[in-house]
Amino acid sequence: MQSYVHVILAGLSSGMFIWLVASGLTLIFGVLGVLNFAHGSFYMLGAYCAFTVLKYLGAGFWAGLLLGPLAVCAAGFVVERFFLRHVYRIALPYQLLLTFAFVLIFDNLVKIVWGGGALSPPSLSFLGGSIPILGRNFPVYNLFIIAVGPTVALLLWALLEKTWYGRIIRASSSDREMAASLGVRVPALFTGVFVFGTWLGALGGGLAVPYVGLLTPGMGETIIIEAFIVAVIGGLGSLKGAFVGALVIGILSAFGTRFFPAFDMALTFILMGGVLLWRPQGLFGATR
Amino acid sequence: MEKKGMNRRQFLKLTGAVPLVAAAGGLGGGLLTPKWVWGAPPKVKGPIRIGYQAVLSGTLAGYGEFHKMGAVMAIEEINAKGGIAGQKVEMDFRDSTLKTDDAIKNARYFVDSWGADFLAGIDSSGQALALAPVMAQLDRVLMVTHGATEKLTEEFVYKKGVRQIFRNCMPTYNDGNAAAFIAKDFPAVKWATVSPKYEYGFTCWKMFQETLTKVKPGVSFIAESWAPFGTTDFRSHINTILDAKPDGLYSTEWAGELISFLKQAKEAGLFDKVKYVMLPVGAAMDVLEGMGKDMPDNIWLSARYYFQYPNNKVNNDWVARFNKRWKHYPAYVSETAYSAIYAYKAAVEKAGSKETKAVIAALEGMEQVCPAGTRVFRKEDHQAIYDVPWGKTKSDPKYPFKVMGDMKVIPANAYFNRPPFEGPGTVPPFK
Repeated sequence: MQSYVHVILAGLSSGMFIWLVASGLTLIFGVLGVLNFAHGSFYMLGAYCAFTVLKYLGAGFWAGLLLGPLAVCAAGFVVERFFLRHVYRIALPYQLLLTFAFVLIFDNLVKIVWGGGALSPPSLSFLGGSIPILGRNFPVYNLFIIAVGPTVALLLWALLEKTWYGRIIRASSSDREMAASLGVRVPALFTGVFVFGTWLGALGGGLAVPYVGLLTPGMGETIIIEAFIVAVIGGLGSLKGAFVGALVIGILSAFGTRFFPAFDMALTFILMGGVLLWRPQGLFGATR
Repeated sequence: MEKKGMNRRQFLKLTGAVPLVAAAGGLGGGLLTPKWVWGAPPKVKGPIRIGYQAVLSGTLAGYGEFHKMGAVMAIEEINAKGGIAGQKVEMDFRDSTLKTDDAIKNARYFVDSWGADFLAGIDSSGQALALAPVMAQLDRVLMVTHGATEKLTEEFVYKKGVRQIFRNCMPTYNDGNAAAFIAKDFPAVKWATVSPKYEYGFTCWKMFQETLTKVKPGVSFIAESWAPFGTTDFRSHINTILDAKPDGLYSTEWAGELISFLKQAKEAGLFDKVKYVMLPVGAAMDVLEGMGKDMPDNIWLSARYYFQYPNNKVNNDWVARFNKRWKHYPAYVSETAYSAIYAYKAAVEKAGSKETKAVIAALEGMEQVCPAGTRVFRKEDHQAIYDVPWGKTKSDPKYPFKVMGDMKVIPANAYFNRPPFEGPGTVPPFK
């Protein structure tokens, strides 16, 4: 019992953590139609900026979490406004090439600014430590991640479904010509959505500082693969799908590592293959 | 050119040197006289080119930089003192990316395009194994400074006769055999592991189990959890260990992944439940500094070189010089990189040639005094034999990180596998 509960808790926290990264990726794909490889770099930059505020400026974890991702938004703005905007109308491979170029640029930027060695943040005083659950310690910070995931999901849903901005965003994503002819400033809106998606990725990075406990120049590349798998399983562009996909992948791989260690790496790919065979558009993807 | 015994550059050097020598002679010492000026021109043609590859990108990018610090420092020192056999040393440093095909591409580039005389580096065991046959083809010496699998030297050098491969870093014998020698004195009988899901992790755990079973009958191995390369979330692996309730935990996780693992294990209270923890590469500088004060006490660890051992003048002076040059304590790969360059210097000067065959002959059986102590390159398998310490983490007010206390040094001869690497008497315990 204790074992199962802890496996589920571990799965929930890793799933919610992937969701935070996958949400921005999915939002950007859903609205702009761009598969943004550089999303992992925004995650990495978010972590490094938050760490800088936290450690070097000595402002603490919350200030880091607030200011770090905001700083990364500037990078997101530059990428969309001056580069990505010019490739929306060209074939998808060019978008992938461009965003992949940014992955390399940002990885090297991080190496130049912060050095190639791993950075390790000090342990948290607040939200640090762990509490016993069924007689085994579970980190408080992971409970916090488990709470943040659904909160972000709820806020995103409210923003998109219940506000005027959300309606405009949905309208532009389903038919950008029509939205433009009705007076929506689509380019500005796209920049806004891209920057918001960037912020979500960077927020994931800021939250990763205590969660992973380590910052390295390649940290974005590992997470972006998991986020892509989650987004594909859920249906590219579907936030609901990404949320469910992240939960499924998180719990499945936690169970896999614990109970079927020989297959733990294969499990997620088997699931993805199965979903793609059965529902090529993903669990919640719209049929095209 | 060959017949005249002198090329243009040497001629210029010679004419440039004459007034200098005359002046030095005039000063009475003759100390500045380059040895070859009045004798035969040097056999070794310069410059001496060393192609070095280590990982410079991705999550382990820091390791490449540690290699580079050691190698650059050695080359700066050597060139400042007249180079190798009077010739300037040049280095090209490339990113090995940890992928096998990139390692092979780099090696071919170094030799075929850049004209490297010697190669060095390599972090991954998988890369080292893939490179061995390539080095035989290219016929250049490769000094492996980090990849640790014993199969490299046992299978490729000893059994298949790839004489071009040497290794000056500690192989898995320390991670597996020596760890078992240390563990046998603990009351722990039930052991478990969380280790990397690739060659290095597998081979170490196997060696640890085999040796520990021999030196301490009655031990059992009750759980293993393998973490794929790039794991950042170890919580499920930690659950596996907590469920198994072992007395001892053995882990060959290393670098950043070890830091993540230790932090997450500490949060989950693993170190309160499991009293004997052994980390064969836990004393790597990046891990000690990365964990800082968060490193739990009384963890047993080792490394392929540890800056406080040996406590002698050569090492202490080197650590001080290194600190001055780079504002860092030397990582173990900094030491192996530094010593690899000096090994080439010693071998070329001993052989009087930089030809592969001559240098191999010079390196075989060579004794080299290094910061890590005295290395002897075993003739049969080209593995350098030297001692490294094990110890228990403890605080020291002089350092912002935990250091090794209760240091224990097992002589390398007692736990290094011996040629012919199969049959009785080739694996420890000996006698």
